[in-house]
Amino acid sequence: MRERNNKLTQYDPGEFRRKLGALTWLVFFAFALLAFRMWYLQVVKGETLSQRSKNNRIRLQEIKPLRGLILDARGKILVDNQPSFDISIIPEAAKDVESIIKKLAYVCDESNVKFFRDFSSLKDRKPFVPVKLQRNISRDKLAVVETNSLDLPGVVIDIIPVRKYIYGEMMSHILGYVGEISDIEISRDLYGQYRSGDITGKLGVEKQMDKYLKGESGGEQIEVNVNGRKLDVLGRVEPVSGYKVMLTIDAELQKICWEAFQKKAGAIIVMNPRDGSILAMVSKPSFDPNLFNRGISNENWEKLLNNSLCPMQNKAISGQYPPGSTYKSVVAAAALEEGLITPDTKFYCDGTYRLGNRTYRCWKKHGHGEISLHRAIVESCDVYFYNVGKLAGVDKLAEYSKGFGFGKNTGIQFPGEKGGLVPSKEWKLDKRKEPWQMGETISLSIGQGFVLLTPLQLIRAYCALANGGSLYKPWLIQKITTEKGQLIKEFFPEVQSFIPVSKRNIEILNNALWGAVNEPHGTGGALRRKERDVCGKTGTAQVVGMPQDEGNPDMKKVSYKYRDHALFVCFAPYKDPDVAVIVVVEHGGHGGSAAAPIARKIIDGFFELQDKRNGSQSCEAKGKTHISHNVATEKFGLESLERR
Amino acid sequence: MKVDRRLFVNFDWVLLILVLLISCIGLLNLYSAGHNLTYISGKPLYIKQVYWILIGLLLMVVSASIDYHFIVRHGYVIYVISLLLLFWIFVHGNIAHGSQRWLILNGFSFQPSELMKLTIIIALTKYITENKIDDGYHIRSLIVPFVIVCVPCLLILEQPDLGTALFLFILFFSIILFTGVSRKTFILFATSSVLMIPLCWFLIKNYQRERILTFLNPERDPLGSGYHIIQSIIAVGSGGIWGKGFLQGTQTQLKFLPEQQTDFVFSVLAEEWGFSGAVILMFLFLALILWGFKIARNSKDMSGTLISFGVTMFVFWGVFINMGMVLGILPVVGIPLPFLSYGGSSMVILMTGIGLLMNVSMRRFMLQP
Repeated sequence: MRERNNKLTQYDPGEFRRKLGALTWLVFFAFALLAFRMWYLQVVKGETLSQRSKNNRIRLQEIKPLRGLILDARGKILVDNQPSFDISIIPEAAKDVESIIKKLAYVCDESNVKFFRDFSSLKDRKPFVPVKLQRNISRDKLAVVETNSLDLPGVVIDIIPVRKYIYGEMMSHILGYVGEISDIEISRDLYGQYRSGDITGKLGVEKQMDKYLKGESGGEQIEVNVNGRKLDVLGRVEPVSGYKVMLTIDAELQKICWEAFQKKAGAIIVMNPRDGSILAMVSKPSFDPNLFNRGISNENWEKLLNNSLCPMQNKAISGQYPPGSTYKSVVAAAALEEGLITPDTKFYCDGTYRLGNRTYRCWKKHGHGEISLHRAIVESCDVYFYNVGKLAGVDKLAEYSKGFGFGKNTGIQFPGEKGGLVPSKEWKLDKRKEPWQMGETISLSIGQGFVLLTPLQLIRAYCALANGGSLYKPWLIQKITTEKGQLIKEFFPEVQSFIPVSKRNIEILNNALWGAVNEPHGTGGALRRKERDVCGKTGTAQVVGMPQDEGNPDMKKVSYKYRDHALFVCFAPYKDPDVAVIVVVEHGGHGGSAAAPIARKIIDGFFELQDKRNGSQSCEAKGKTHISHNVATEKFGLESLERR
Repeated sequence: MKVDRRLFVNFDWVLLILVLLISCIGLLNLYSAGHNLTYISGKPLYIKQVYWILIGLLLMVVSASIDYHFIVRHGYVIYVISLLLLFWIFVHGNIAHGSQRWLILNGFSFQPSELMKLTIIIALTKYITENKIDDGYHIRSLIVPFVIVCVPCLLILEQPDLGTALFLFILFFSIILFTGVSRKTFILFATSSVLMIPLCWFLIKNYQRERILTFLNPERDPLGSGYHIIQSIIAVGSGGIWGKGFLQGTQTQLKFLPEQQTDFVFSVLAEEWGFSGAVILMFLFLALILWGFKIARNSKDMSGTLISFGVTMFVFWGVFINMGMVLGILPVVGIPLPFLSYGGSSMVILMTGIGLLMNVSMRRFMLQP
């Protein structure tokens, strides 16, 4: 007990008490420090850090809209959308990226792997955002990746809709193609409708109607976890699919034209003379627009660019050709209207025409003898028109040419149109700094020399003859509707002007054009159907000035690029025409032998189609295509997966 | 042993309630932290933590019942046993997260280094009460306590667990400085620790160096070693004043927070309960620590003062270092937050330590005549 008491007295807590008092303050200070820091983080910087926590977990994902469909005049789908598959990797979720790349080696290209490595090793890359490894993998490779997905952590498959051009090459010049927007296009975009990475139309209807076809992007605010896995959708704005564009093109007729043309180079337009709508338009050679879907390979692009036959050019609206004898109708119209000739005016053709010391030949070596206007058009006598042309003079010819809509754009709502060339004295002095030569009038009067027309201008002019004089603005877009069919915009035929030719003279010309096909020795005999209903005119356009004295050389012996262009333009039936066709075969030789047989097939095909459709109830067919189209768009994901 | 009636009369309800309150907050928080985790095997962590708390309470009763004089008297025995356990895992330890810290006994994993924190307090108390020097310790008399702390530290550094080793040293210095050292010794301590810093830089492992560099500038490697601290600061800061609400912490629930059930458990609380919740927790800790100081002050003998001071400092440093780390003012070292971090060893040892506090608290009147 004493010992204990001793100990008790020995223990002096005073010193400890003092220290504990001081320590209490230290502890207060430490906690104050923590509290101050917490105040700083949670209150002062709370807002910023709260935003950062949202950025951590909330990701905005753009949902690209489906591009609008393009339909033919009867509702048949010409351009659809189909899925394409990309592979991406989230490096943070993949953990061992290299071993995954090794596993995916057979799926992707070496260059992409290198790009991926460079990108994924960037320090300032946003974590947990997928990095693209390979675009557009094939379905069998996709299947392998999907079945092994458990061994491929962090590997993501993106489904990207791409265009499917059902008719491939056949309609590429009408429909065009799409591609990622270029920097130049973005800089021209004044209204901020486009963003980099957007898909835009580059040619044809895809380009012209881009603002209707592209649709509006939607977006999704998604919540992700630390592995970038989507947990929840916080908000979603549905994308608006692009509008449907319905053309005046008839896919079946287009196919007939395409097949009739075979392997030649040139252009075909089929037009409805009643309203100027384009029913078919072929330009050959062509290209496959599907190649451009995910970016065309350099190799393919080079091939297209280096092809001397210019597959990328739409020859129907931007190819400019001398019209050859098809121009004679214009010359005749000018002379008739000006009262320089009457239908009974005759000239004598001995096969040559002399002007000064130069001799101009008729295509028929020994001449047509004494010949009137009607027969001169039927047999396409050159000498007759040399005389007529000389009477009219170049400026009258130019005036009437312009009256037929030549020398300037037709105004079709379509990119890439050319205006052709109508020569005149003024033009020559202005551009060539030389006075007009009389000999050039002689050449002009049979559609040679300086004059250049596009197939579109020429067929429009003939349509004016066919319909009694109205020069329509050519058009091939009929209407634009929403995905569900609500009308957005409709296009109607538009008469631009009237050709400066009286009804009576039109009748005279048409009668001659009928004769050119149906009368004996008519140059367009290839079109002589049993209905005897086609009016047409051949044309053979010289590419280079052939020495007139040597007569007509055998075209097969001339090298390809010096061969004549063969033209044929026609409409049918004679009274109240339903259809007009122009065929231009580049370097094809004679219009009557190279172009006319093609036109024959098209005219035959057109009337066969018409008969077939009149037979089966056409209204029923129209209803059906509407329904099937709607189904196709709704089931996009599933159905297109099945489709190959 | 005779049970004195006065033990019950003097039972320290305040201490028990404070500890239970903090543990309950910890449980609730752990429930949230583990809410979205899927468990490959076994029960959710908060259920396991309940078991650990119950075991801890049991040990608390035991450590409170045995007179602390008896415990201090056997301080070296306890120390040697703990050292043997440490040595045992040094030889056959279980490796987790790249370091050897766990001892597996019948399916229970146990960290002897946690036990060592408490053992060091007891062993130092024994040494100091038996070698009391009036004018403070000199270097020579500090050799034995220094060896006492250094041996386990070296073993723990080998695991490697820099945080715990540092923690033992911090406890050692706290107790020694509290007891009192001569002025000469104090100056020596101060200068040598300054000199030690560059030496340590070369001794520590690469990942530890990374951590310290990252602490100085977390953005230098935001996807690598800076990731933890950046995500933790985002979690704490985004909690704002009132927090995002229970189970609503996006950083936590979407697993952006690393180690959210153990070392970074406080950021879960700060995110979901905000500044207000975190301050309440801090007040509870402050109350617990000040209560511990009160027990130390009221103890009727030196061993009681030292042991209760040691345990209180154990709690204080755990809270300060852990919160400092979570708030980005101290480097990332693996020190759990007392009563909140998941971990059986830590919980059980803390409860035992609280039992010792209670022990001292209850016996403060025992020697009165």
